[in-house]
Amino acid sequence: MTFLVQQTLIYAIPLMIVALAGVFAERSGIINLALEGIMIFGAFVGVYFVRYMQEAGTFAAAKEAGDWVTLQGFELLAMLVAALMGALFSLLLSFASVNLKADQTIGGTALNLMAPALVLFLIRILANQNTLQMAEGDAASWFMIKKTTLGFDRSAELGFFGTTFLHKVYLATYVCILLFIVLSIVLYKTKFGLRLRSCGENPQAADSLGINVYKMRYAGTTISGALAGMGGFVYALTTANCTANGDVAGFGFLALAVMIFGNWKPLNIAGASLLFGLFKCVAASYSSIDINGDGVYLLAEIGVSPHFYRMLPYLITLIVLAFTSKKSRAPKAEGVPYDKGKR
Amino acid sequence: MKKFLALALALVMSLSLVACGGNTTTDTTQNDDTTDDQTTQEVTADDIEDNMTSEDGTYEVAFVTDVGQLKDKSFNEGTWNGVKLYAYNNGLSYKYYQPANGNEATDDDRYDAMAAAAEAGAKVVVCAGYLQEAALRRAATDYPDTKFVFIDGYAINADGSDTLLTNVAGIAFQEEQCGYLAGYAVVKDGFTKLGFTGGGGGTNPACCRYGYGFVQGANAAAAEMDVQVEMNYSWQYGSSYSASPELQTMCNGWYENGTEVIFACGGSMFQSVAAAASANDGYVVGVDTDQAGDSDTVITSAMKGIGEAAQYAIAKVYDDTWDEIGGLTTTLGAADDAVGLPTDEGSWRLETYTVEEYQAELESIKTGENAVDADYNNLQQEYSNLTLNII
Repeated sequence: MTFLVQQTLIYAIPLMIVALAGVFAERSGIINLALEGIMIFGAFVGVYFVRYMQEAGTFAAAKEAGDWVTLQGFELLAMLVAALMGALFSLLLSFASVNLKADQTIGGTALNLMAPALVLFLIRILANQNTLQMAEGDAASWFMIKKTTLGFDRSAELGFFGTTFLHKVYLATYVCILLFIVLSIVLYKTKFGLRLRSCGENPQAADSLGINVYKMRYAGTTISGALAGMGGFVYALTTANCTANGDVAGFGFLALAVMIFGNWKPLNIAGASLLFGLFKCVAASYSSIDINGDGVYLLAEIGVSPHFYRMLPYLITLIVLAFTSKKSRAPKAEGVPYDKGKR
Repeated sequence: MKKFLALALALVMSLSLVACGGNTTTDTTQNDDTTDDQTTQEVTADDIEDNMTSEDGTYEVAFVTDVGQLKDKSFNEGTWNGVKLYAYNNGLSYKYYQPANGNEATDDDRYDAMAAAAEAGAKVVVCAGYLQEAALRRAATDYPDTKFVFIDGYAINADGSDTLLTNVAGIAFQEEQCGYLAGYAVVKDGFTKLGFTGGGGGTNPACCRYGYGFVQGANAAAAEMDVQVEMNYSWQYGSSYSASPELQTMCNGWYENGTEVIFACGGSMFQSVAAAASANDGYVVGVDTDQAGDSDTVITSAMKGIGEAAQYAIAKVYDDTWDEIGGLTTTLGAADDAVGLPTDEGSWRLETYTVEEYQAELESIKTGENAVDADYNNLQQEYSNLTLNII
């Protein structure tokens, strides 16, 4: 059970945070199809930062001394850098769609095409290969929190919650959950959030009340870019052993699906990404999942083909979307460039 | 005023030119110094630049991969290190040509890479990986004066005829022997729950031999010690030898359920397995090269001398003894000291199993007294002391 919860979280967290990134852009009225591209870019920037710092030896002493607090700081710093560069990258989209009033779908697609090419190009220059890896060690030995890092004994019993949430986890997971909650509150309970949402529904009305629509849309897309860039790095860190190869396995597009699936509402999105993460985890590890701890691997023993399990996450998404999409309601003004003169 | 500006600009430009010139001269002298140092010292492959620029734009020794990364810390990198070392030590120019489309490279992409190498003046092209066959057949026919070394391969015939192409040398290894030694060693060291995850989806003969040898070795050791051993055996992920979240999750699941050692058999797949091992305090058996330096979780590595084989084959081109290997399949095994486990101080991490015991086991394979079956179609059989759980 612990295993299932942890692995589900590892898949669900990047999805969740990137889907929220989509919400921020779309609620302000900009369709951010570029989530995938920004994730790829963010993953690259984060991994490169880690690699660069390792090569410079900045954190070598902390690693040597087992100073895990500093290493977690290093991880947070890398997340921050990825977020900053993601925000910067997304400015291309905001500029095209806010200032130039270009078609947002095409702008987003252009970024999606550009990011993997650009990233692979840079990786080829930096490392003479297609994958950028950490300079030394692996993600788990540098960044993972285990009970031994926290000062417990190897054989210490922490109980179900202890082993699930304190052992073999990444701090990034919790930072993302915290950010998710804080930003959801910002979106719904603050003046800024209300204004942002109003720009996605009826920008003319918002403007008539003195809200700068352009500014709000820039803010929405930039927050979106920062979250997606960070989500990309979190994906690379937790599921790809801190490597970047110009690919995030379609997580950006999945996040878009999750966002629509979750009806542009944070709580639904959290549920949707957990559901998807759960099935993704089952697909990869069905043969070693012991649901109730009695030593029987039910999923492996019922004799269903592994290909079926691998289809499952996508199948479930399709089915649920088919039933729920009728009720889903996108922000009214999304995708429409704001024109002051239009009524 | 305008005149003054023009003058100032001209001055700045000429100054910068002078500055550039000055730098170049100091650079060259520095380079000379370092070369002098290096000839007296032992150079390792890591000290040699991956990118070298020759003066006339031709490169004599070329290297082409099939799929996967150059720096996979395993098969491709090991071969490349051999190529670099030979070229460096003999003052030859060398270059790596990567086929287009990365992991989805087709035979055409590989042919293009080989052709580019031959066009750029390559005397010998080292092609690593068993997927090279079709591309190699075309390239070797189109460029008969260029020598091709087919690592992990075999002698190949020209299209539609039975004559073997004499400018292709196939080098194969008896991977089952080092797989056996690794399996034997980890069971002797007290591990009873093992895993094997291979690349290429079960189509790569080298990986299949590694896996089958690993099973046989584990079974033999278990029989001697009278214990029962379990092994998970999977080809599910890593069909292009790449790391993936799914592979990592699968290995996490194995370790979670008690698996102690996983044999990561396939290039960059090592990344995923090592990440899972590191998270679960498990161990990994490396492949092709000594991977002890890449992760603390590596307990031993099933090595084959790919770098040495590359050097050996390139040397044949330059000392005019190519006929000894051209058009033939050279199979290297324990008897040629081409396969084994690393026994260096830092790499030997087994605790109860000793180097001496390993040497004795290796010797018995060398002499042929302990014959390891190489026919991996026999994988699914009844083992006396081992339960094989194919996933």
